[in-house]
Amino acid sequence: MASVMEKLITPLASGPAEPPRNKVTIVGVGQVGMACAVSILLRELTDELALVDVVEDRLRGEMLDLQHGSLFLKTPKIVADKDYSVTANSRIVVVTAGVRQQEGESRLNLVQRNVNIFKHIIPQIVKYSPDCILVVVSNPVDVLTYVTWKLSGLPKHRVIGSGTNLDSARFRYIMAEKLGIHSSSFNGYILGEHGDSSVPVWSGTNVAGVSLQKLNPDIGTDKDTENWKEVHKTVVDSAYEVIKLKGYTNWAIGLSVADLTETLVKNLNRVHPVSTMVKGMYGISDEVYLSLPCVLNSSGVGSVINMTLTDEEIAQLKKSGDTLWGIQKDLKDL
Amino acid sequence: MASTKEKLIAHVSKEQPAGPTNKVTVVGVGMVGMAAAISILLKDLTDELALVDVMEDKLKGEVMDLQHGSLFLKTHKIVADKDYSVTANSKVVVVTAGARQQEGESRLNLVQRNVNIFKFIIPNIMKYSPNCILLVVSNPVDILTYVAWKLSGLPRNRVIGSGTNLDSARFRHLMGEKLGIHPSSCHGWVVGEHGDSSVPVWSGVNVAGVSLQSLNPDMGTDKDKEDWKSVHKMVVDSAYEVIKLKGYTSWAIGMSVADLCESILKNLHKCHPVSTLVKGMHGVNDEVFLSIPCILGNSGLTDVVHMTLKPDEEKQLVKSAETLWGVQKELTL
Repeated sequence: MASVMEKLITPLASGPAEPPRNKVTIVGVGQVGMACAVSILLRELTDELALVDVVEDRLRGEMLDLQHGSLFLKTPKIVADKDYSVTANSRIVVVTAGVRQQEGESRLNLVQRNVNIFKHIIPQIVKYSPDCILVVVSNPVDVLTYVTWKLSGLPKHRVIGSGTNLDSARFRYIMAEKLGIHSSSFNGYILGEHGDSSVPVWSGTNVAGVSLQKLNPDIGTDKDTENWKEVHKTVVDSAYEVIKLKGYTNWAIGLSVADLTETLVKNLNRVHPVSTMVKGMYGISDEVYLSLPCVLNSSGVGSVINMTLTDEEIAQLKKSGDTLWGIQKDLKDL
Repeated sequence: MASTKEKLIAHVSKEQPAGPTNKVTVVGVGMVGMAAAISILLKDLTDELALVDVMEDKLKGEVMDLQHGSLFLKTHKIVADKDYSVTANSKVVVVTAGARQQEGESRLNLVQRNVNIFKFIIPNIMKYSPNCILLVVSNPVDILTYVAWKLSGLPRNRVIGSGTNLDSARFRHLMGEKLGIHPSSCHGWVVGEHGDSSVPVWSGVNVAGVSLQSLNPDMGTDKDKEDWKSVHKMVVDSAYEVIKLKGYTSWAIGMSVADLCESILKNLHKCHPVSTLVKGMHGVNDEVFLSIPCILGNSGLTDVVHMTLKPDEEKQLVKSAETLWGVQKELTL
């Protein structure tokens, strides 16, 4: 006796289902991972979303909650499992797993704890998606992107750290508010370490091509009567402040990761400040990851924009590089 | 000496800046409120989003986190305050405030706690947005939509409960999984109470206009070998299951709220199963709110659709209404 389905539907195409074309995996279903997931889903960037985590109940609950919204989405397959086989054939893998900063804790303190977690995660990701692009979000992101690169064996252009994409977004928001315009009409980059020693490139800040530094040569210095330098300080303090108020940050980082994902999946060749391997640039001789303006496309980091930095800015980058290398060289078993 | 801003930008407009044209307020920045907020922002529905809550630190943290994402959004103004003046001139106010179900707790249990919270919230909303449309999400949603209607003094077309919009979405998702079809092509309506006694209207379940019940007359009964009835049971159990696994539900309800806001703000005249005053319909004689298919547009809930229900489906609606009225008549408003 034919089932409802058999009576209703006559299949035409036979053979196995097509593999996904733009699959995205998110490792870690904490607040950041889920904010990335929802942003990616609502931006309709992927045809399959996979979630992985070690906490099985929470993982299943998050998957069900997203699936229940599938009427409102255009991502037909949302899956989750503790087992990494669920991540197979991903184009992009976003790594948010790991422990997060406690109130007042610096990102660098989290390092060894997160390295140990990554030793379990990264080889499994690469096993099932050997051609993927890895986007590392977990903190301290620059060190962990280096760790990911080492553990994955992938070429350096396929391993990207979310880096200062978020810092730059915060910077552009605050600067734009001061000027009464939309963030996207204010251009400015924060580079280097995603953290306390990030570098605001004041020479590049502009609206409609008009350089702010030309209008105000003191911008970013202590001499500046308008104290624009304070904006960068606010950006550095942002994460600590939001953590103090609500316990963690998630929405902004989720949106920023979706923004990167869009460029990667759609092969857009857009420029983003993300963490990439900078050995050989700006006098840095160690294998460290720092954020520079990178042209991203479907193969990962296509190229790097050579920014004209002041001597002081280059010195700051080099100093960050030295600090990061100081930590990295002591990491065990990479 | 001119400032950098003055050197860069010359203000030329002589007009006062215009106010927001489709402002949305979300009351309550818990998991549901924030999921609704991010869904509304990512769907570019509004030019101003306001958040209100009593927990000031959490509120400030949430609004900062959203503002930091402004570069990636198209909502220029995102504001928050404990003071309701920040909500002024809202077109839609989404109410998610209140206590939520604990593991295993039914929605009806939350009533009195949430009524007391609404006695504070609703008059404050009305003071600053007297012409708004209220979209109530807090549970038990059907009772609280009634409460919001009474406390606000708004006409019934401006007070809507999110109701079974989510239950129907869950039903369509499960139906889609069974048939291998996207939920948007699977049509099915769950009406009545948003909760344990919701009513799946089996006669309406169809794909491309083909009634599944006409293909399987046992559908929805215990005799059905394919046990479609369990699809509805899974819908009822969904919230409990997700709460057991992750502590609360957020994403699906957030997206369903954004879906309703879209129809209202864009004046779509789309039909959604939402909670409205059903007195005088389907044999219901009490002033209760239950979900039926309603047309939503920019003046709110303008029309309802007459469903052709079977006698036992109507009986279920009447029974839900009696249960809800039993609770409502004990409330001090």
